[in-house]
Amino acid sequence: MKNCLTALLLLTFTCFSWAQTQATSVNFETQTITMAMTQEPPQLNGMKATDQVSIMILSHVMEGLTRYDRRGNIVPGVAERWEVSDTEATFWLRDDAMWSDGQPVTAHDFVFAWRNALKPQTASEYAFILYPLLNGEAINKGEMDPAALGVEALDDRTLHIRFERPTGYFDKLTAFVTYFPVRQDFFETKNQRFGADAEDLVYNGAFQISQWVHSASLRMTKNPYYWDRDNIHLNAINADYITADTRSRLNLFIDGKIVSTALDGETYKDALTQRFRIRRFTTGTVFFLEYNHREQRVTANLNLRRAIQHVFDPDEMVNKVLATPGNLPGKSLFPVWLKGKTDKFRQEYRAPEAALDLDLAREYLQKAKTELGLTAMPPLVLLVGDSPTAAKQAEYLQGKLKSTLGLDIKIDIQTFKQRLAKMTAGDFDIVAAGWGPDFDDVMTFGDLLSSWNLNNRGRYNNPAYDEQVRIAMNSADPKVRMDAMGKLQQIVFDDAVVLPQYEQGVIYLLHPELRGVVRRVVGADPDFTYAQVVKPNQTK
Amino acid sequence: MSDSIAPSFTPDYTPASHGHSVEQLSRPSLSYWQDAWIRLKQNTRAIISLYIVVSLALFTLAGPLLWQVDPALQDLNQISQAPSFPKRALLADPYERWQPIILDDFPREPETYVDVDLMPAPTGVQPLGEPTTQQIRLRWEPVVGAGGYSIYRNQHAPEGINDLGLPLATTLGGNEISYEDRLNLEQRDYYYSIVPTDGFDEANIYTTIKVLPTIAITRDEATQRGLIDADTEIQIGDPLSLRFHPFGTDYLGRDMLARLMQGARVSLFIGICAPFLFVMFGILYGGFAGYFGGQLDALLMRFADFVVALPFLLFMILFKIAFGIGPGESGVLPMLIALVLLGWPGTARLVRGQVLQIRNNGYIDAARLLGAKDSYLIIRHILPNTMGVILVTLTFAVPGAIFTEAFLSFIGMGVAPPTPSWGSMCNEGVKTMLSHPHELIFPATFISITVLAFNLLGDGLTEALDSRMRSR
Repeated sequence: MKNCLTALLLLTFTCFSWAQTQATSVNFETQTITMAMTQEPPQLNGMKATDQVSIMILSHVMEGLTRYDRRGNIVPGVAERWEVSDTEATFWLRDDAMWSDGQPVTAHDFVFAWRNALKPQTASEYAFILYPLLNGEAINKGEMDPAALGVEALDDRTLHIRFERPTGYFDKLTAFVTYFPVRQDFFETKNQRFGADAEDLVYNGAFQISQWVHSASLRMTKNPYYWDRDNIHLNAINADYITADTRSRLNLFIDGKIVSTALDGETYKDALTQRFRIRRFTTGTVFFLEYNHREQRVTANLNLRRAIQHVFDPDEMVNKVLATPGNLPGKSLFPVWLKGKTDKFRQEYRAPEAALDLDLAREYLQKAKTELGLTAMPPLVLLVGDSPTAAKQAEYLQGKLKSTLGLDIKIDIQTFKQRLAKMTAGDFDIVAAGWGPDFDDVMTFGDLLSSWNLNNRGRYNNPAYDEQVRIAMNSADPKVRMDAMGKLQQIVFDDAVVLPQYEQGVIYLLHPELRGVVRRVVGADPDFTYAQVVKPNQTK
Repeated sequence: MSDSIAPSFTPDYTPASHGHSVEQLSRPSLSYWQDAWIRLKQNTRAIISLYIVVSLALFTLAGPLLWQVDPALQDLNQISQAPSFPKRALLADPYERWQPIILDDFPREPETYVDVDLMPAPTGVQPLGEPTTQQIRLRWEPVVGAGGYSIYRNQHAPEGINDLGLPLATTLGGNEISYEDRLNLEQRDYYYSIVPTDGFDEANIYTTIKVLPTIAITRDEATQRGLIDADTEIQIGDPLSLRFHPFGTDYLGRDMLARLMQGARVSLFIGICAPFLFVMFGILYGGFAGYFGGQLDALLMRFADFVVALPFLLFMILFKIAFGIGPGESGVLPMLIALVLLGWPGTARLVRGQVLQIRNNGYIDAARLLGAKDSYLIIRHILPNTMGVILVTLTFAVPGAIFTEAFLSFIGMGVAPPTPSWGSMCNEGVKTMLSHPHELIFPATFISITVLAFNLLGDGLTEALDSRMRSR
């Protein structure tokens, strides 16, 4: 009997592995694709999600009031139309928006989700993104009852929102995961297990999770109740592999097991010899050197920062030191892809550039020494992450500042958590930092250096800067807001608050038979929602 | 028989004359050291190793005097160069930031998106200005319906749409019809392909152009590198020789030879200082324990056992903290101390064993009976007889210490950048092992040769200093 069982098990196992090996990256007949996740999502409770993989999966299986189209514009999601004014907003929900169990998505689901995400006991790291709602911040700090939140369901199909301050970009915020709806009755039956497993979620997006084998695979299938189901071509998205190792991902891609993989400085050479078409994409993240502006630090001195500004060449850094394609030289805190009034922000407000001028830089350094009353500058501590490229950049900067200004740099290499702790404690002179956007508006970068922002690790404090942020925050007029941001850009340059290094770009491979995949700077990345497998002979 | 006859006979024996006549030595007598040296000289491997060790010392100490190149100087025009003869370059104008060509009379984004598969390939692709390794500038004619252009670069002629090479950039509008490439340019053929996009999707058509840049260096850089004087005769466009890097350069264009010399200082300093110190301490400790023996010996040796059990890496980290070695400061001193404090028990045990053995020999007892004091016994009899063991331990400890240094620098616990050591150079080199193998091969070879040389020399010394093998 035992033998029988073993044989049966063996048989199932063989069948299973046979089925596994048959799974290819794309299948035209079944419209199925297979991908690899860099890590397993810790959980899929949208109110708490912070990591990239969770956000990517959630954006496929859930939908907010609005969503981004493939060109990055805001289009209707659960809401079919909306009105946003300085003080309030109204969203009208579509009739055919359904949960995956056939129940309609109502305005109450949004009210419940937003109140819940702001509750202090939920401890959502992204709660701040709900602060534009009236009393949002006070509720999150436990000072007010969640019921006081400025959101109410006028009826099942109408959602009315009151703002704490004018939020012209509110329609963009509603596409973010923290703004996704949660159904109260379902949430309460699941209690603490909400989002922990495939059956512990109810879905309103284009797909639903049909199978989730923890630390092995995750399978998304088309949601039959999704309102736009006729335009969804893929029947299933299989995440059969979990690995962040670019080398093994490349091997999976070469073997035709996964549809897409990112490349790094070493693997791209193999991809070139394999004759794959390499694509590039700007992640939207800006990397910069942030100075410590605390009083006791020498980097609080403006002339020292200006001296460094006049010798650092972001162009050289990107082309010679990073030396992988896709990165753009950093010229501003605001990346090139941000939208301005009508055009791109950076087209409308050109970023000022410091001339590379060694004599001028030395003059500034001399001034700094006089002001600080020093004959020689003490060594500056440069805090960086522990990746190979980070160390290389740090050494480049060390050599550059030594050979041009005679400044000594001590490189402090730390792991991510340790670096964050040191950044928060202010235990650095210069830190190599990066900032990725949370939503598609200049404000996601603009308020970064305001005195109240906890992510302003250098504790830069300039009332003029804060004032411009407030002007932009308290207005819904694009011109007023963008003008204020343009002034911010100038302040960041004049005060040499941070030193932009580069805008990160990645290169990646994508299966040529898969069309319509969208890479995004905000939200789901990559987005397979409207993707489609084309016939093999259609590709050239 | 009473009348005795005076004895009159030749005696069989005569008393020996008083004098010191020992066997005649045909050759001058050899001391222990002379004999050892003679036997070492017969050992070819050991002698070669000795020469290597001596040349390493010269390389480290005299090398920087002959090869006066700053090991921290970054030459970003010559990144990751393999060993080669000096290159010639043209003197170029200083780089000026360049604004891309943007047409005013052409739409940035097409009014209606056309099917990307129907888009024509760009025409009139041509280089703008002279292509050099400073910059390659391209321009082309706008394509109707385009919302941007993707620029690819390859090192061989593309064989199809999937073989265009590296995606360098995508311009932001259909009216932006030029691109400047400065990405790590070398003197080789580049095949640039321009693909029109509708601002989002790329077309399946492309135009390729082949460009061969000439090596160029700007006047500022040339002056900074000391290639020309400020009041030089050399004009823009004239050729000049670039810095010669016989061992190539590393990932930031720093001279490998100069770095190897500087790295040798750290590696050999640790490699020789640490063993010397801990062998010294081991001799004293082991000699003391072995000579006096008994309870004291047992106690001392149990303590040595305890030290053996201490984890080296942990202590290294603890010392680093205890010494207040902050981030970005060299960890060589704590490394030395940790090595000395934890390395001695091996030597101590060996010396103790040897001393115990010698102490029980007959000549020691004889000397003691003749009234020799402890100090005389130690200096005259015991120490010289343990010398062989000591020297051998020392030579074997050197490669061990060099290896430890290399390992610690490899994991980032050793020297602080920009100071190189052979271990940290290997650490950097291994990242680009496939594309630029020389960055790993050189320091790795130096470590291997040094370790091998010290090991073979130690082997030779073992044989040469073994008194049982003395030549007769």
